[in-house]
Amino acid sequence: MGSQADWNSFGGVVTSLLDGNAVAIAITALIAFGLPVLLHLVFYRSAASPPSSNFLLLGPSGAGKTSLLSLLEAKSSLSKKPKSTHTSQSSTLTVVSLPPSVPTASNRFRSVNDPSLKDVSRNPVKYRLRDTPGHGKLRWEQGVSQLLSMSKAKDVKSKLRGVIFMVDTAALSEDEVLRDTAIYLHDVLLTLQKRALNKGKASLKTAMEIPVLVAANKQDLFTALPPNSVRERLVAEIDRIRWSRSKGLMDASADAAVGDEDDILGTEDTPFNFKLLKDEIGLKVDIIGGAVRDDNSDDFGSGVRKWEEWIGMCL
Amino acid sequence: MLEAFEILTTSGVVLWSKSYAPVGPHIVNSLINDVFIEEKVRPQNPATSGTSPIYRKEKYTLKWKRVKDFNLIFVAVYQSLLHLGWIDKLLDNISTIFIDLYKNEMRSARARTIEYPFDKYFDQQVRELEDNTGAATETLVDDVEDKKDPFVSSDNGGPPPPPVPGLLPAQLQAAPGVATSDEGTPPRSTENSRPSTPNHILAAKMGPGGRLSRRARKSANANTNVSSGEESARKGKAAKAGKKMRTWNADGLADEDTGEILDYSATPDDVGVGVPSPAVEDVTQESMGRRTGKGQFVLKDLGEEVHSILENADSEKAKSTSSGFMGSGFNAIGGLLRNIVGGKVLTEADLEKPLKTMEDHLLKKNVAREAAVRLCEGVQRELVGKKTGNFQSVDAALRIAMESSLSKILTPTSSLDLLREIEAVTSPTNKQQTPRPYVISIVGVNGVGKSTNLGKICYFLLQNKYRVLIAACDTFRSGAVEQLRVHANNLKELSSRENVGEVELYEKGYGKDAANVAKDAVEYGAANKFDVVLIDTAGRRHNDQRLMSSLEKFAKFANPNKIFMVGEALVGTDSVMQARNFNHAFGTGRNLDGFIISKCDTVGDMVGTLVSMVHATGIPIVFLGVGQHYGDLRGLSVPWAVNLLMR
Repeated sequence: MGSQADWNSFGGVVTSLLDGNAVAIAITALIAFGLPVLLHLVFYRSAASPPSSNFLLLGPSGAGKTSLLSLLEAKSSLSKKPKSTHTSQSSTLTVVSLPPSVPTASNRFRSVNDPSLKDVSRNPVKYRLRDTPGHGKLRWEQGVSQLLSMSKAKDVKSKLRGVIFMVDTAALSEDEVLRDTAIYLHDVLLTLQKRALNKGKASLKTAMEIPVLVAANKQDLFTALPPNSVRERLVAEIDRIRWSRSKGLMDASADAAVGDEDDILGTEDTPFNFKLLKDEIGLKVDIIGGAVRDDNSDDFGSGVRKWEEWIGMCL
Repeated sequence: MLEAFEILTTSGVVLWSKSYAPVGPHIVNSLINDVFIEEKVRPQNPATSGTSPIYRKEKYTLKWKRVKDFNLIFVAVYQSLLHLGWIDKLLDNISTIFIDLYKNEMRSARARTIEYPFDKYFDQQVRELEDNTGAATETLVDDVEDKKDPFVSSDNGGPPPPPVPGLLPAQLQAAPGVATSDEGTPPRSTENSRPSTPNHILAAKMGPGGRLSRRARKSANANTNVSSGEESARKGKAAKAGKKMRTWNADGLADEDTGEILDYSATPDDVGVGVPSPAVEDVTQESMGRRTGKGQFVLKDLGEEVHSILENADSEKAKSTSSGFMGSGFNAIGGLLRNIVGGKVLTEADLEKPLKTMEDHLLKKNVAREAAVRLCEGVQRELVGKKTGNFQSVDAALRIAMESSLSKILTPTSSLDLLREIEAVTSPTNKQQTPRPYVISIVGVNGVGKSTNLGKICYFLLQNKYRVLIAACDTFRSGAVEQLRVHANNLKELSSRENVGEVELYEKGYGKDAANVAKDAVEYGAANKFDVVLIDTAGRRHNDQRLMSSLEKFAKFANPNKIFMVGEALVGTDSVMQARNFNHAFGTGRNLDGFIISKCDTVGDMVGTLVSMVHATGIPIVFLGVGQHYGDLRGLSVPWAVNLLMR
């Protein structure tokens, strides 16, 4: 055996590789077993199954969407405190993990002692949250169109599990803000309603209602309205918007369009309210109070606990 | 003094910030709203002026820099009273350093949650730049600044683009270092290009003074603390930095061909000999003693690191420009391929031709030249440095960007719901407010269709069962009142037939002051419980100062809830000036509330006037007139308009 193979010349290297010495065998074995492992690591590490449940954050500018996002992000990455935020110009998609203490809908019927619940605390449930800019100019382009595309998506990965509509309850007592918020909410609900109605005609298989959470933010402020009052105001305002929309002018593009019967949110004759929306169309709207910024308690993010529970119930 | 510095992403998260005084978040928010989203304030072209754009809010001045690759915005906030010339430099340097340091973090998914320990780098930069300018008195700072700016811009503006602004501080920084060793050098080449005033030399000398004492202090501390391995590692880096600086110089020399630049590189050459040697001394001293002072020394160390980063970035830039000449053949082929396959990083040269085509296309659609140029510039600013998607050509990328920027410009900030607003004014929910009629007045150039559109709006309101008063305030043109009377009679007939609202004409004949008539009409409307008062005005040329000035009085007397301007879709370039002049005619604090674009049915898909008018003022379009009948009034649908424009 050419154990003293000469490794200097090219021919020598080839010869010693081919005549079966220990080094060559070791290298071959390494490549043969290592390469698949390596490939696996490269491809599957990077694409480590993104969580399949998506949530969309909507709401007018200044309601606290980005703040909520950065708070949840900070919570799931165990960093000290959430970053401060400014007005957004583009939307972002991030993976957020649900705290293990929050129950999820899929674990609803498990007993407390179920061992799989312990598994959850080690490997928390993850979901994706998309933040959208709330500025009037960007709302349509990035908020509602996002809602449309996500709610229509066929594949499981981009399926929308719920919409979180942020509301600034402290500013809602002003007419301007209330009107703006209500118009946006109206448009969102209308989009979802159209989808729900179309779904009835289409295949029932994909029909899955998208619940809406109206997150009444900034409950920590003194001037904040309680969630019930928020509901009342929003309902009254949406009712008015519905009325003026039905009376308003047509858009320039509506010439050729056929008469849109389902352009009115809810049913035409009865006054609008969220309960009717649920009964007749199957669109569930919850209003839950909370606060992204809560200075009183030591552990930050306790104000969003209820929203997280809502998210958990959608998973 | 700098008030605050923030690094934020376009998605709104502040990655890092430092504030010297509390600055409310609304300051930066209004920057984002006004400049980036609504584009109310248009920055002057940064490429030509060589400085960062400025935005003023309350007592603060904001300067910013966008880095598109990472979607970052660097914002510096300072008091408007102060003249801080080094802010531009600071923005440039900080953005370079930050991106160089956290490149990998920015690409990762966790970019928004991790902490960025950037304070020390920032402090170092601020101190350095302040030292450069602030060593002398306040007036001197201004003086130096004024001279430095043209210097920098001339540096940038030269036909061959190798020079790099970031280099400047490094040299200015390095220069004082030499001054300690060699007193003869101060009036050296960097100053040579400026008019040599004694002040500069003074400033240059004072800098090293402070540095010297610091170094002295440091060496005094040198024996107190135990040095860590990391420290010495960094030292190695520092030494390397010195070496790099020299190699770059060799490169630079090869590239440069202007005399000024040559001057430049001569200085660092001197420095290259002068500076590293004390640095090396320092290192050996401390490694001998195994001890080092933390405070000031780390600072100095940082300085080296920072400079090496800046220089690397500069040399890379220089390299890329030089290779642009050399390997252009290969690049061209690659570029062609990429144009088809996608994944091409767009440059200005790539965009030039498609942008020109796009501009022509917009002009053909009757967009005013000014608006078309601005749109194209905006799109160019957005696209340069971006990568095209897979299998996406430059044209397609441009098209998408243009579509989104068109829809951005046309989409109103808050949508107008006229009926809802009328409701709020005429029957307020709040008990304190007394119900009053909702007043809408309509202005415009002669013959654009003011009265016709007034008739259409009136019809629309009548359909919603309002009581409408039409006030004929065109007391000038003969037949104007009669024309309105015809409309009023027609509408009366129509509404009685359909049993909807009521309409009445309020007129005082000809020759009266329009403002007084309008005021009386509103009072009459309030007394007789009308819901809406529609005021028609005389058509006037927008560049006739005398006629336009009467509008201010009119706005004060009638105090309309809404002033709509009627513009015709047929008008071309003039639309910009029309919109602008009418917008300014109502005095301070009162603007137009919306445009009605008439005669849209006559232009087909050439609806560019929509864009021109909104571009000029930022005021939304509320109605479109699309025909001869009372019912031919439409709201604006942005996708429809964008679709027509891009066809």
